[in-house]
Amino acid sequence: MTSLLLAVAVGSLFASGTYLIMRRGQIKLILGLALLSHGVNLLLFGSGRLTEGRPPIFLDKTGYAETIELNLPADPLPQALILTAIVISFGITAFVIVLVNRRHTVTQTDYVHGEFVPLLREGDPFDFSESTEIDQHDWLAYEVDEVYDNDELLTGSPSFPPSEQDESTAMEEDQYKWP
Amino acid sequence: MAMSANLLAVPVAAPLLTAALILLFARWGGRTLIRHQIALTTLALCINLVVAVLLFRAAAGQGQRFVLQLGDWSAPFGITVYGDGLSTTLLLLTALVALAVYPFAVATIDYHRARMGFHPLYLFLLMGVNGAFLAGDLFNLYVFFEVLLMASFVLLTIGAQPAQTNSGIRYVVLNLLASTVFLVAAGIAYGTLGTLNFAQIAERLPLASPAVRTVFAGLLLVGFGSKAAIFPLFFWLPASYHTPPPAVTALFGGLLTKVGVYTLFRSFTLFFPELLLSWQPTLLTIAGATMLVGALGALAQPGIRRVLSFHIISHVGFMLMGLAVALSGNSLAVGFGLGAAIIYLCHHMIIKTALIMAGGAVELYMGSDRLASIGGLVSRQPLLAFLFFMAAISLAGVPPFSGFVSKLSLLQITLDTRHWVVAGVSVFASLLTMMNMMRLWRESFWGDYSRPSRIPSRILQSRARQQLMLTPVALLVLLSLALGILGEPAFRLSMQVAQQALDRQAYIEAVSPSSQVSALQIHSHTFEVETVSTTRP
Repeated sequence: MTSLLLAVAVGSLFASGTYLIMRRGQIKLILGLALLSHGVNLLLFGSGRLTEGRPPIFLDKTGYAETIELNLPADPLPQALILTAIVISFGITAFVIVLVNRRHTVTQTDYVHGEFVPLLREGDPFDFSESTEIDQHDWLAYEVDEVYDNDELLTGSPSFPPSEQDESTAMEEDQYKWP
Repeated sequence: MAMSANLLAVPVAAPLLTAALILLFARWGGRTLIRHQIALTTLALCINLVVAVLLFRAAAGQGQRFVLQLGDWSAPFGITVYGDGLSTTLLLLTALVALAVYPFAVATIDYHRARMGFHPLYLFLLMGVNGAFLAGDLFNLYVFFEVLLMASFVLLTIGAQPAQTNSGIRYVVLNLLASTVFLVAAGIAYGTLGTLNFAQIAERLPLASPAVRTVFAGLLLVGFGSKAAIFPLFFWLPASYHTPPPAVTALFGGLLTKVGVYTLFRSFTLFFPELLLSWQPTLLTIAGATMLVGALGALAQPGIRRVLSFHIISHVGFMLMGLAVALSGNSLAVGFGLGAAIIYLCHHMIIKTALIMAGGAVELYMGSDRLASIGGLVSRQPLLAFLFFMAAISLAGVPPFSGFVSKLSLLQITLDTRHWVVAGVSVFASLLTMMNMMRLWRESFWGDYSRPSRIPSRILQSRARQQLMLTPVALLVLLSLALGILGEPAFRLSMQVAQQALDRQAYIEAVSPSSQVSALQIHSHTFEVETVSTTRP
């Protein structure tokens, strides 16, 4: 009975996770990924067989070999696996949330409510809403802004976002020293 | 010379420790500190290469199998680290690719991205890839997959430009789904076979019911296949590989899909060799479709890196074709297909990395990689044009280079096993590759000089940077040439590696998993367990 319940739970978690991933909304995407990872965790839990009322250690050491049928311990391994999987999926979910938030910010689109909510703070280094000439080669964008200034070594972070500088002086020489 | 199996820890430990050391001081992101980071990372990459060479010489050259049981816990209970010819070949290539891309990365990655932790992430990615090649059980394979995925997520989106975040979401979601499928496979393996250790799975799987075997193999094929970007599961790759800085694309193109290919090789030869025969039509269909879709998709792409990333897919199809015919071969030796696939893998990792770096250099010089708007670079950068051309014809399979040897041997085994259709498809895909490479070269180097972008490229200003960019490309092209000229000894070596990988019994004996509680070596005053089995009834 318990294992049937477990199977149904795993199945419904997978089904709803898959359904949510295929929706357009980004929050639903995150929720779908979370549900899928829960489904897998539950499946791993079930893979160790459900042993009720027994600790995952040898109960009776003295007569272990004789009483193995009575003392068969619960399998401790699935719990270790699940713990690892939970930690990993936690980290990844956090990353996905940040990524979705960043995407929401930089592309200024939100499929969920259809309206743009400005999330940029003043002077956000990732604010590229003004720069129009960067077409698909976005990764070059930083290069333009780069200020190679050796004096600020270790004294702290450079001005961030980088200050405006004349292109001609920026291109004059490369002060970046190679190891 | 007998080597200690403890060396197997170095390819994982060296990048991890160095990255951790770098992260400790990463808060003060001054430029001197970044120079120290670069020096440390280079040191770690060199150590990694030296150890990989040592391991490769012993394992692939002399047929040794390294088994490291961590903490001396015997096989199914502890963590098993395993290195044989196949894993060490990939370790060596990974070390080469990582060391070759690194100067390019140093030259092209800007200060802000370096401050965001590019260098430690590079090492974490390397650690994950190495660990995946060395893992001896399913769960550690999963963990290392996640390590390399996590590092690749951040490397892909580092800088968080709009296109990067867009592609990042696709990449993250599709790769997470693949990981989920793989973890389900691990759960099913544990639930039905009671073990996660590769050797023990290989031991017990023949006794399992056919349904279990089919489900397990299918889940692994989907999970690993989508990491390897095989036919219906490749969509994450062309959606994302053109958006990060070119150094990252070169690293990904050289390493990431190959982890999927390696795990496919490993799992199919070790767990279900019989499926290599009974599933052969399916695998060959997938392989043919992968080749064709990759090559045709590349034809429709407008930019250099997009074309090259579609070609990665096409080449994965060739490797899968070699795997599918690994156990057949009428007049040729059994394992010929796998040997050919392995040498193809070597060729692909070397030359694809070189080509993406050369393409990235073009992109840096031009400020754009859109083929329609660039051209005429040959007059400004003759060396780059030469290197790009050499790499391109090597990729297409022109004789003196490694592409010829590997494609010829793959074609030979396919014809020998009378798979005419897939052989024809592979020839057609090679022709399309040739066409695409010529198109890339013509569009970017010939014609009038045109440079669409107003973005000034600082790389043009520094001779040191240019040398850092082009030297690794030249070395990789030379390596490909050497692999082509020394085709015969290289192929003999890869046949040895393939035979070793196909020898399941020796794998099981080398790891020697024990199903006895006594293997736990629990020494107690009150009881002494000798022969109690822990396998569940």
